[in-house]
Amino acid sequence: MTTGLHISNVTKYYAEGRNRISALEKVSISVEPGELVAVVGPSGSGKSTFLSIAGALLKASEGEVNLNGHLLSKLSEKELSNVRLKEIGFIMQSSNLVPYLNVLDQLLLVKKMSGKVRSKDRMFAVKLLEEIGLGSKLKSYPEELSGGEKQRTAIARALINNPNVILADEPTASLDTKRAHEVVSLIANEVKSRRKAAIMVTHDERMLEYCDKVYRMEDGRLSLAGTNVSGCVDC
Amino acid sequence: MFLALKELMHSKMKFLMIVIIFVLVAWLVFILSGLGNGLSTLAASTFQNMKADYVVFEQGAQSTMGKSLISDELVAQAEKLSNVTAASPMGSTMATALKGNSTKNEDKVDIAMLGILPGSFLEPTVIEGEGLSIANPTGVIVNKTMKDEGFKLGDTFQLDGSTQALTIIGFVDNQTYNHLSAVFVPMSEWRKIAFAAPGSDKGIAGPINAIMLQGKHIDPTYISSKLSNTDAVTRGAAIHGMPGYKEENGSIMMMLGFLLAISAFVLGVFFYVITMQKTNQFGVMKAIGARNGFLSTAIVSQVVVLSLTSIVIGVLLTYGTAAIMPKGMPFKLETNLVIEYSVILLVIAVLSSLVSVRKITMIDPLKALGRAE
Repeated sequence: MTTGLHISNVTKYYAEGRNRISALEKVSISVEPGELVAVVGPSGSGKSTFLSIAGALLKASEGEVNLNGHLLSKLSEKELSNVRLKEIGFIMQSSNLVPYLNVLDQLLLVKKMSGKVRSKDRMFAVKLLEEIGLGSKLKSYPEELSGGEKQRTAIARALINNPNVILADEPTASLDTKRAHEVVSLIANEVKSRRKAAIMVTHDERMLEYCDKVYRMEDGRLSLAGTNVSGCVDC
Repeated sequence: MFLALKELMHSKMKFLMIVIIFVLVAWLVFILSGLGNGLSTLAASTFQNMKADYVVFEQGAQSTMGKSLISDELVAQAEKLSNVTAASPMGSTMATALKGNSTKNEDKVDIAMLGILPGSFLEPTVIEGEGLSIANPTGVIVNKTMKDEGFKLGDTFQLDGSTQALTIIGFVDNQTYNHLSAVFVPMSEWRKIAFAAPGSDKGIAGPINAIMLQGKHIDPTYISSKLSNTDAVTRGAAIHGMPGYKEENGSIMMMLGFLLAISAFVLGVFFYVITMQKTNQFGVMKAIGARNGFLSTAIVSQVVVLSLTSIVIGVLLTYGTAAIMPKGMPFKLETNLVIEYSVILLVIAVLSSLVSVRKITMIDPLKALGRAE
């Protein structure tokens, strides 16, 4: 079984009247476990479409996505939602927490979606939140959290089901530099220590130092822009 | 359930308002149904409680006592017909009882005089005093509500527009007819009162209004064909034939129907708006792997919790209202009826939430990414 996330020759086009608008053109990328990859590019370049296809939210028009052994084009709606639940951890733009759940319940909700919450799930959730530095905020609601704390909760939520793939969509969008560094270094640490295959879509060039590879997306085409070996990116 | 309850606890104000509306609707539904039930009891409890299964009227009487006049010779014939286990004559007439020789307004009481054979299956059991007897034709048994009008056991009262006087020898329970207290009179005495005017019996020997039949599996058309000039109906049809019964019940049922239809829409719109507010949240949850079933269960269980709470409060308020209602109000709550309408309200609420459920199944999880392309 292949592990990690492998996207090969994915094309996505939309019919717009008689024209065919392509959002992605033969995009290929491989992310191995323990690897954090950044995708940068101007808005409208197809980054979101790319992330949606990688995240089993959108079906590719052509090409194949192999997510930890699952061929996404072969799966039904129900199976896709199961893949999203079990195999993918999403970290979204504006953290997108459920407003009426406290920090701990945000994580338990994900467990609820796949059935019962057992006491070991609860313990894992608490441990995860403590590691991430939210140990004192377990019972706080999103409205009581700072932007960075919200985003950290979202990271914990993405990790609760122990998925193999982490997808982050502009995770630093509404954060100041200090918080942004905290959040991305946290993501990088988790990816390394838990051996996840991770893709982060961002336009925040400051964050690239944490990534192993940087890809650039332009007009639906993806190209490798740089590799980071020493901790300093050359792109 | 998890999501449903967490949200209820978090936005109490929002849900409190829905509960208030739902409670008011439920309260009104229960009050109206109690009122409808009370009115129909008042109109026909004597018929409803009677141990008769079928009623034989004169042909063309439209199942109404007042329009029917037949001879009691038919009773013996009816008894012999197949499936009939017992038959007994009955007559009814409206009258006014005068307390003593008083001329004051409150001392005139309208009553429904029902002529029956003493000891027949039509005679209700007395709760106080004794039953009718042939030896004492002017001794009558009356509904216990007459007590509230100031009548006592052993009282003799005069009838307005008649020379006859009757003595109360017993009280019975739950016997009202045409909204009036029922007064059961031995048949011979009832004839004297009902047909006091010469010719009012149309020359019929032993005139009565109807024959009540006991027996299961009686075929009404067979009875009508065997007894000349008669029309046999079920007891239910006879109740509906009572003057004003259908109209009275009809208007209450129409009000209830409209109320339920309106509440379905009001609640449906409420649930829909609340769901719409959460489109983005549901999109996020779908993106992180929630199935439609998980979210639908959350919505429906929330509606069930809200509905049950509201219905229970509504029932309590209704019983509270019933306790402080004036005694004369025709209001009668029956557990069966309360349960029936509770279930109807619950079903309506759940059905109206299904529109919202349909809506969330259509939410695109892509929306969660903030820019659906």
